[in-house]
Amino acid sequence: MAKIRGAIKVDVEKCKGCGLCVVACPTSVIALSRNVNSKGYNYAYMEVPEACTGCANCGLVCPDSVIDVYRVKAGVEA
Amino acid sequence: MAEYRLMKGNEVIAEAAIRCGCDGYFGYPITPQSEIMETLMLRKPWEETGMVVLQAESEIAAINMVYGGASCGKKVMTSSSSPGISLKQEGITYIAGAELPCLIVNVVRGGPGLGTIQPAQSDYFQAVKGGGHGDYHLIVLAPASVQEMNDFVALSFDLAFKYRNPVMILSDGVIGQMMEKVKLSEYKPRWTDAEIQKISGSWATTGKTPDRDYHIITSLDLDSAKQEIFNHKLIAKYKTISEKEVRYEKISCDDAEYILVAYGSSSRICQKAVDLCREKGIKVGLLRPITLFPYPTKIIQEMAKRVKGFLAVEMSAGQMVEDVRLAVNGKVPVEHYGRLGGMVPTPNDVVKALEEKLINVK
Repeated sequence: MAKIRGAIKVDVEKCKGCGLCVVACPTSVIALSRNVNSKGYNYAYMEVPEACTGCANCGLVCPDSVIDVYRVKAGVEA
Repeated sequence: MAEYRLMKGNEVIAEAAIRCGCDGYFGYPITPQSEIMETLMLRKPWEETGMVVLQAESEIAAINMVYGGASCGKKVMTSSSSPGISLKQEGITYIAGAELPCLIVNVVRGGPGLGTIQPAQSDYFQAVKGGGHGDYHLIVLAPASVQEMNDFVALSFDLAFKYRNPVMILSDGVIGQMMEKVKLSEYKPRWTDAEIQKISGSWATTGKTPDRDYHIITSLDLDSAKQEIFNHKLIAKYKTISEKEVRYEKISCDDAEYILVAYGSSSRICQKAVDLCREKGIKVGLLRPITLFPYPTKIIQEMAKRVKGFLAVEMSAGQMVEDVRLAVNGKVPVEHYGRLGGMVPTPNDVVKALEEKLINVK
């Protein structure tokens, strides 16, 4: 059976770089970007996208609800 | 029916300003407080209550717009973060010198200079000890939760008009960016011209009528003798404020042997640290000053008679600790623990510092 793959989409402008999603991710997919948004915050992004299982922990802990989690169809790249 | 919402600290400041009948907001964007003006612009209070919201061309322009609005007896406010507040200092001392009521919100970030955009508490000296030139004080309130960001806006205006003195809400990047449940205040209508006449009619520039003299708003007096009399009047005012307006919160202090002193977001971290210490069997309490000027000196003096030591926890290199030392006056040890430059300590860091600096000292 194929492994379940997921992907996240971060609303970069609303992210304040608190890092809660980084801690919450069980497969260490998320990291804070070296780039900043218009407010100056290092926003969250998928550093290791292939490890994402789509568990949605990051979306649940995000205090500003800026993370959307999607399930990626097998064989389709996010 | 009370209205509860999940909101950011900055958004709540904007919402509370609209709800308490604020007449005008003048500001200039800076992280981490930009959401205050963004929320106001989204809410469009000029359509709802007639409140003016204006993005000025600079921080200096914004504070001088506040000076003008306050001169007319209006409820006006501005907000900024550390570098912006530094720019506003000239205006703030003029407002204090002209004895005008207004609200200034400082969502502190790490410094000096442009520093960082992460939270710090390194503007304590600037807020409490002066900041601008001359013998003046602001009334300084330190919220520790999003709820207090809501409550302190209306309180600030009450105090500002009661004493004709500028009030500062000294928040920081944690409280400003943090989301929490908040019970919003009820809507209060803006003051009508007749109400302004009644409340501030004795000094505000509301238009001269034949039955009264000109009202002149100024902070200039070239006659030194008169200026000295005015300075004494200000000092008497600050003394009254120090006697009547001290606010603080005591947590588990009754049987405590060691006291943590912390305000704002640090006090939230210390609250957890107190629980951790109590689990270990160390009797620790937390004193949270809510007003930083006036400082709760008396309660610290009383506590110094029966506790073994104080640890001031603040995200600065040691600013409020000086006021704790002044109050304790050498009776028991007073130590300081803090992280700098936008780093936030954890409760365990606080417990470790307490053990190292006070408990396990030979």
